[in-house]
Amino acid sequence: MQDAPSTVHPPAANADAALLRRMAAGDESALGALYDRWSPLVHSVVMRIAGDPDDAEELVEETFLQAWRQAGSYQDSRGGVATWLAVMARSRSLDRVRLAGHRRAAAAEPLEAAEGTGALDPSPLDAAEVAETRQVVRAALDRLPADQRETLEMAYYRGMSQSEIAAATGQPLGTVKTRCRLGLQKLREALSVLGDGR
Amino acid sequence: MTDEPMHPELRDALAAEAVDALDGEERERLLAHLAGCEPCRAELAALRESAAALALAAPARPMEPARAGRLRDRLLARAAAGRPAASADGDDVTLVAPPASDASAGPGDDVTMIAPPPSEPPARAADDVAAIVRPPSEPSATPADDITAIAPPPSVTANPQVIPITAARRRSTLVPWLAAAASLVLLLAAAAYAASLRGRLRSLEEQVAAAERERGELARRMREREATLAAISAPSARVIEMAAAQPAAPSGRMFWDPATNRWTFFAHNLPAVRAGREYQLWLVTADDRKISAGTFRPDPSGHAVVQATYALPADALAAVAVTEEPAGGLPQPSGPIIIAGAASTE
Repeated sequence: MQDAPSTVHPPAANADAALLRRMAAGDESALGALYDRWSPLVHSVVMRIAGDPDDAEELVEETFLQAWRQAGSYQDSRGGVATWLAVMARSRSLDRVRLAGHRRAAAAEPLEAAEGTGALDPSPLDAAEVAETRQVVRAALDRLPADQRETLEMAYYRGMSQSEIAAATGQPLGTVKTRCRLGLQKLREALSVLGDGR
Repeated sequence: MTDEPMHPELRDALAAEAVDALDGEERERLLAHLAGCEPCRAELAALRESAAALALAAPARPMEPARAGRLRDRLLARAAAGRPAASADGDDVTLVAPPASDASAGPGDDVTMIAPPPSEPPARAADDVAAIVRPPSEPSATPADDITAIAPPPSVTANPQVIPITAARRRSTLVPWLAAAASLVLLLAAAAYAASLRGRLRSLEEQVAAAERERGELARRMREREATLAAISAPSARVIEMAAAQPAAPSGRMFWDPATNRWTFFAHNLPAVRAGREYQLWLVTADDRKISAGTFRPDPSGHAVVQATYALPADALAAVAVTEEPAGGLPQPSGPIIIAGAASTE
């Protein structure tokens, strides 16, 4: 795989990186700009997991405060700032849901795979390359067999372990492992097309 | 196209770990292996990056604009309050003033922050306290330093003996006196300022302590509620409705989670019990055994909550009932049934 040199990133990613540098220097207006760009995405992630608008509001706030505190230690990667934020949002949301001791019904909503691409994008705020990544991920998920997609979904969005997934679906553990690997591998291939295309 | 991992037999485990789904023992084995295997570590990192893209596939759920705006304001205010560079060490007086307003905002923050796990704000509050607390630990040093900084002429005040000699130039002798008077005024002002800071400090410390106590209390209550909620909202929880056996319309509801053996009972509109009497909650089994689930008294408005842990086979419950009994309860019910409900079989 290619190491992403900085030239890979279009101006939007550079804009994000610049915002993080200003945040690290204590400029909270940069945090405001980051929030304006990415809060729709972060909110979508936390709603997907926590399901409750009040919880979601707090989780969005915590996620951006964490970004504020850790802006100085951000390491650029192919996923960029959007993925960095989304991963923090997921992790905090799963912690919250686990703390609450139960998984909420709202989390049963499926990933947006089969609904076509882009129609529900908060696109005005999505940087172009993230919109592209979203389309690729959704298209890849769309092509996955339903059982592989569900396995990834249960692990990633509901924080379930493989044995929990096996118990919940009534499938043997080995089947769950295979589905998880195959699903992730296909996702990776789809994304590598995106990466190599640049 | 994808790089083959060095250890193909670990592919399943690596994929599972990339989505945090690997179970305990298998995970420990993998982590132990990763510690010494760079190719597998690289593979895991690549898989994690792919998995991270899943986050981007969440269905778009925009925030309500009003909520989004409110959150934005709060976020920026909190970021400004917690700006890391703001607390430079050194000048105590300027240090005290900003954190003072900061800290008075802090406890308020913390109260609204109770709901989320209070990861950062308490630490920040503690920092602020430390910053505020510092001056009184060296109370004499600070005002003295300030005075020498603000009014250099203590050496001038030491010159009164010179006055007779320079009597002819009265106007100029006035200067040291004025300077002395000015420094005295400054000294008094500084002392008054220090006293007011000490007072403010005390009140801030009290506020922080009060907020801390309140936070602890709220956190405790929230833990209790979450435990209750978990017990009654578990997927396996069963609900037994109970209707009134008396015209006063008391009612109750039992939540039973056979998976955890947790029983959570809520009652409403229960009449007050006489002295020496209590209500007793009964689980009635299909073979007509009556198992006490505890005694209780309702609060003045007739509400009561009882929690119990008791293992009962999922199909063994026939009914739940409340009777009035002598305080402390009896092994078997003797008094009138206040409310009762049959356990429906699902």
